[in-house]
Amino acid sequence: MTPDALRADSVRKTYRGRSGPAIEALTGVSLRLSRAERVALLGRNGAGKTTFLRIASTLLAPTSGEVEIFGHDAIADPESVRPYLAVVPQEGKPFMHLTPREQAYTYLRARGFTRETSKSRTEHALEQMGLTEVADRLSITLSGGQRQRTMVATVISTEAPLLFLDEPTIGMDPFARRSVWDSFRELTRKGSTILLTTHYLDEAEALSQRLYIIDRGRLLAEGTADDMKRSVGGTLRVSVAPGNGVAEQLATFGPLVRDGDTVHVITSPGRIQEILQLAAHSNLTASVGPVTLEEAFLRVVGRSINDES
Amino acid sequence: MNLETPMPAVGRSRWTGLGAFIGTELRVQLHEGLAIATSIVVQAVFLVFVAVLAQGYLPFTLVGAIVFSVFTIGQRIQNEAAWIRIDHKLHELYHASPMTPGAYFLGLSVGVLLAYVGPILVLVAAAVYFIAFTAAAALVLVAVLAAEFIFTASVGYMISTWFRDMRSIWPYSTLFFNLFGVLPPVFYPLGLFPVSLQPVALLLPTSGGTALAERAAGILPLTTGEILLASISLVVSTGAAFIGAVYWARRISRER
Ligand SMILES: Nc1ncnc2c1ncn2[C@@H]1O[C@H](COP(=O)(O)OP(=O)(O)O)[C@@H](O)[C@H]1O
Ligand SMILES: [Mg+2]
Repeated sequence: MTPDALRADSVRKTYRGRSGPAIEALTGVSLRLSRAERVALLGRNGAGKTTFLRIASTLLAPTSGEVEIFGHDAIADPESVRPYLAVVPQEGKPFMHLTPREQAYTYLRARGFTRETSKSRTEHALEQMGLTEVADRLSITLSGGQRQRTMVATVISTEAPLLFLDEPTIGMDPFARRSVWDSFRELTRKGSTILLTTHYLDEAEALSQRLYIIDRGRLLAEGTADDMKRSVGGTLRVSVAPGNGVAEQLATFGPLVRDGDTVHVITSPGRIQEILQLAAHSNLTASVGPVTLEEAFLRVVGRSINDES
Repeated sequence: MNLETPMPAVGRSRWTGLGAFIGTELRVQLHEGLAIATSIVVQAVFLVFVAVLAQGYLPFTLVGAIVFSVFTIGQRIQNEAAWIRIDHKLHELYHASPMTPGAYFLGLSVGVLLAYVGPILVLVAAAVYFIAFTAAAALVLVAVLAAEFIFTASVGYMISTWFRDMRSIWPYSTLFFNLFGVLPPVFYPLGLFPVSLQPVALLLPTSGGTALAERAAGILPLTTGEILLASISLVVSTGAAFIGAVYWARRISRER
């Protein structure tokens, strides 16, 4: 049997600050990535995404737990697995005094690729990330989004067997995000395995074949986006705002998912008319739409992914 | 190794990527032309002071200025390593890669050295011209400078990893580089240092190395015992610092 690209077992992390209380960032995370799989770790700020990614990519020691990469023990011998890895750190920046072209090229050379390979892969990655026009400008003159694209271009150009990307599309415009998604799909087609974190629901849905929802240091759900939406218990959602006053009546139509003042009723097409009438009767606004990952997330986590509290 | 495991695209040795990373860092540093040009301003000012106040000591100050210039490269390495790690997080790209942490440390250090070596060579040329270095003395000077570089790069790199933000590094780094580089007899002759403390000065890589270079140039008398003390100390402290830094680079490449 071929070993998984990544296997994590009961990974825990407690940050012990010199001042302040210890913080339990991960309380036992176990997950598996098969080869050539694209998986997203979806969670709110502070859920533990970065902590997990850094542990899995050998950059942070766990408090306890196991990590295996292609069958190698990544905790006992991190250096043996590092040649397989490439990482886009959260909020990383390219060298300010290199151009995107130089950044990607010199990085590939430092990883031991030949000049020819480095050159052709650099050009391909720059093109994929839409950086061709700014490829010879120093990064110090680029926008935040362009710098982030440079980081992603640098790392995807490695075509490493296992890639970790921590919020890779942060600060990018929708167009750039789509090119990042396309490049990830190409990478997994060629055999790379990708684990990325995101707090964008659309990204998790568009990009991952499978996703994990993480909150407060533990994994709460695992599956495809469709699995998760199905688990909400219906295909349609009627959102009533403010819905708390009529929650009891709404509950007779199907499961409720709350998001602040808004109450979503998950229901079937046949009952929509009645709910809308109920809302109109109480002078409340109501809207109808398909069940999305948002409701799945709300149901699993209990809070919106955008809720800052 | 499991046969089912995909082999990494390239082989890897302890120094994979070293040359390429030296080039990267050099290219990055060369954009700081003004910083490079002004990197010996303090040393030049000291030379002017001494030329005005006590011209006879000028050869000592000149040799000291060269040693001090190499020594302060450690501070630049420390700042650069800390900046890349804290502000850019680029070290994560290099650590999660075929490149070893030791190659990362050394590549960064040599890159910074190459960027800043120009002005130092000007000082060296002045020393060779004014102090009439023999070939043997020049060789001793180069050896001392090489040791100085390895020592200071190692210490600078280690300091860079101890802090979470740039500002908390500065006081410690200022203290370290002044205590070792300015206070002991680097810019002035060993003989002006309190007699009881002179062995300590010989033990320090900065003032000890300076004394060895000055002895080789024929401007500072040293007993055989003193030469041995300074040489052994320089070799031991350089070796220990380098081994320590490579070990530390490896250890710190996975944070705790
Ligand atoms: N170096 C650290 N020291 C102490 N606490 C930390 C550190 N890094 C992260 N944390 C805490 O661990 C938790 C998880 O953080 P993180 O993994 O960065 O979450 P995410 O990436 O999902 O936003 C948060 O509560 C955060 O404050
Ligand atoms: Mg994060």
